[in-house]
Amino acid sequence: MKQLCWVVAAALSAWACHLAVQHATPVDRALPLIAVAVTLLAAVSYPSLMIAVPVLIVAEVALPDEGMRLLAFGVAVAIVHCGALASRRRPRRHPGDGSETPAFPVCVTAVVLLRWIPLGSVLFVREVLLLALCLGIVYALGRTPFAVAVGVLVALFTPAMPLRTLLLPALVLVVAFFVPKVQLAWVSSMAVGLVMLFFAWSGVVARAFPYFLRDTRPAHARFLVHQALPANASLTLDVPPGTRALIVSGANVAHLRRGTPLGRIEPGNIDIRIGDASDWGYTRRAAFYAARNPLPRDPAGLIRDYGYEAWLDGAGRVPLPGARTIHIVADAALPQGASLQVEGFELER
Amino acid sequence: MILATLLGLVALPLLALRRRTLVAYWGVDVATWLLAWLLWRRLPSFDPYLGCVVIAVVKLATFSLFLARGRDVRWSANRAALIAAVVYALTIPAMLREHTVIDGDEPFYLLITESIARDFDLDLANQYRELAHSEVGRTDLGPQFGDPTGANGEQYSRHEPFLALLMVPGYAIGGLHGAMAVVALFGVLLVRSTIRWMEDEGVSDDAARAVFPLFAFAPPVLYYATRIWPEVPAAFFFVEALRGVRQQRMKRWLPALFGLVMLKLRFVLVAVPLVLFLFRRRPRALIVGALVIAAPLVVVWLITGSATNVHSWREILPAPAPRYVKGLFGLLTDGMSGIPFQAPFYLLGLYAITRWKETPRGFRMGLIAASLYILYLLPRPEWFGGWAPPLRYLVFFMPVLALGAASVWDRISRGAIALVSAWTIGLVIHGVAHPWRLFHIANGENLIGEWLSARHHADFSRLFPSFIRENHAAYIGVVVVVAVIVFGVRRYKYDLAIPLASLALAAGLAHARQPSSRVEFEDAHVIREGGDLHPPYYTMMRFAHRGGWVVHEGNSLSFLARKGEWTLHAITGLGATIELAGHAYQIAPSDTYRAIRVTIPENGRVTLRCLSGSVNLDRMDRDD
Repeated sequence: MKQLCWVVAAALSAWACHLAVQHATPVDRALPLIAVAVTLLAAVSYPSLMIAVPVLIVAEVALPDEGMRLLAFGVAVAIVHCGALASRRRPRRHPGDGSETPAFPVCVTAVVLLRWIPLGSVLFVREVLLLALCLGIVYALGRTPFAVAVGVLVALFTPAMPLRTLLLPALVLVVAFFVPKVQLAWVSSMAVGLVMLFFAWSGVVARAFPYFLRDTRPAHARFLVHQALPANASLTLDVPPGTRALIVSGANVAHLRRGTPLGRIEPGNIDIRIGDASDWGYTRRAAFYAARNPLPRDPAGLIRDYGYEAWLDGAGRVPLPGARTIHIVADAALPQGASLQVEGFELER
Repeated sequence: MILATLLGLVALPLLALRRRTLVAYWGVDVATWLLAWLLWRRLPSFDPYLGCVVIAVVKLATFSLFLARGRDVRWSANRAALIAAVVYALTIPAMLREHTVIDGDEPFYLLITESIARDFDLDLANQYRELAHSEVGRTDLGPQFGDPTGANGEQYSRHEPFLALLMVPGYAIGGLHGAMAVVALFGVLLVRSTIRWMEDEGVSDDAARAVFPLFAFAPPVLYYATRIWPEVPAAFFFVEALRGVRQQRMKRWLPALFGLVMLKLRFVLVAVPLVLFLFRRRPRALIVGALVIAAPLVVVWLITGSATNVHSWREILPAPAPRYVKGLFGLLTDGMSGIPFQAPFYLLGLYAITRWKETPRGFRMGLIAASLYILYLLPRPEWFGGWAPPLRYLVFFMPVLALGAASVWDRISRGAIALVSAWTIGLVIHGVAHPWRLFHIANGENLIGEWLSARHHADFSRLFPSFIRENHAAYIGVVVVVAVIVFGVRRYKYDLAIPLASLALAAGLAHARQPSSRVEFEDAHVIREGGDLHPPYYTMMRFAHRGGWVVHEGNSLSFLARKGEWTLHAITGLGATIELAGHAYQIAPSDTYRAIRVTIPENGRVTLRCLSGSVNLDRMDRDD
């Protein structure tokens, strides 16, 4: 009867969230799924965690700004996962035998929310396999909070594309059988909470995590140039008044390592290297495994797509010498098909 | 202020939490700071002050959770008072932030305090002349309508001077902040007395700890403890009087009763039943009680020449029954001034009434003592409290409801408690971050409805019951709120309170986005190009007028409406021609409101234009 009650609660919550959806992003459309996940965790830990459901509904209706709204979802989901992970329940089979963490439910909901949004791009066989491996890791590590954190982080950082990347969780599973049981409840809860906070852009968390620890600059207007320079090509541009920086990225340069020259700005002899800018699409899920680029030092890229499909374009800001006219030359050693992309000028206002 | 808040937030757990509970709290505290830091990095355009308030309130809520649920907690009424003192001390500066000035009756109380402290009299004539030198911070003040005057041109305030007298020491030390600190001190005393009262009445420590933050750090007590109103001191005196009567201790009830009736003449209505309680056991107490009750009448007579001040004995006569119904239902359900929306915790206290026999005697006595006052409050035009933070006239009564909630705490749904707590956190954040918004024009909307309406350009206000300007949701709201009190708050084996509330919330919000069948033209959802609010915003007793929006030639209004035949209610002195959804209508001059039949051909957004003349548009009703 109690389980039936929770099923009813999950159905009602999902229905409520379905009614509340009014924005078109995959994360908004996944609100019913999130509500079911919240209900599951409330059922196995603190029932009051269900309060996240009305919070999600209010955020959906009251926050038109997309970034703020998705972050509000993230806060609710992160608190629910932290709370569930920090909770203790009596084991059903041996009630007198201490307490245990609801490890499997937390791991399942975390992996599903991190990787299964948007639902349309889920590779089901791979995802189910990965989920099974993660649950195996959790089991092998003793179903502790630490085990859940390891399982969730492994799931997050496994692109599953190409298929051989599934060797990473498999390897962790093997190692897990030889690792002693560790609790680390607080640290583990915070680690899971941290990744769940940004679940709406979990792809970026997985492939460009430091981005979320850096300052987000307020959106500045851009004077667009949109010019791609192959090896040795050059471009002369008048610098618009009130320019803050030049925005550049690379095309077909994902395999180049940090420090590889991309081009030069004159006057000032300013080098543009991998690290100042990266390949425009290197954080895409399909491209990331083969990519060797780092996140640009001063990333100017925009987050595109949602959930595990989210990625950050590799544009970076390069300071300008202060001249009214600049001359940009693409490096002569750029590989065939590669180019330096001058995206535009970032303006003060 | 930020540093003081940080220190206060560090001090709170040290006051009450110990050992493992304290360590666990610090763990959550670190996590909260990390979360706040990450959000601050990600949301550069978010209002930093609002962000600080959110963090402070969330931390207070976290502390309250640990206080209620922790195993290693040191708890006593004195500790509760100390915790309340820290929170109130941090809230007072927030209430006076930047250009926020005291409002409503507050400046008048402060003027009386200034007059006593500086001139040793109650004549405010010179205070009104020298407002620029006053701590009040308002140069627009003048005597209120009907304020008593003296034979030699003295200008008195209609407000009783006892609160002002109490604030004099604080004012002398710290000016406005000192005066507010005196009221906060009464708030601290109120918290201590209420917790002691709960102990006296046999409420468990666990229940008292759980109820404490929802009472002390939630509306309306938090707002009234950190502003200048007599309500919180009255609540303190009321609780002390009840404790005194219960304990048969004259040393307690006599000064408390005296303080209560001296604060406001209306509290005589509370004192009378209390004296009758005393009379049942000690007939001689009737004489003392009668003398106490007579004291404020004598004082007021000495000051103003009338024992009833600006009131009249006729106010004691019964009013027509519908006005009682309106006041009662309004206090129960109104979106702007009702308990569920403005202080939802006290729904749990109302639930205690349904468990009458199981509640402590103190609760029953408090309820009976307040019933005469409430009976006289209900039919008054200002049942909602007038220009003041919500639930003004019920603040003194809140400790009684808190006791009731504490006494049935174990019988209350945990889901309902979670919902009430979440809503309360939102209210506190809003009230502390935007204290000027605690005052709301009585136009039938509330702040949430207005905010959502303005954002979505759809009539979200109609979701919230209003008895100030009765709407369709009003009587549905009464049924829902009564059902919630009787059935919804109760603890069942299987708790579906949160999912059901979520479904109701989502369904309501989805419904609100649809075109409505009534359009009030002064409401926030209407997109206006030109025109004026009628009557003007600060009109005295504005709620007694029919509100509307005056459009002149060339002005237009746009709103969502359903397809069909409608009746437009409007008044124009010179005549006007309007165009609505492509049809032109001529409105003849009249000295009364006219009902004009109009047609909306399609569901959706329609535009009303004034083609010539001027017209005051009240509302539009669909003819179902």
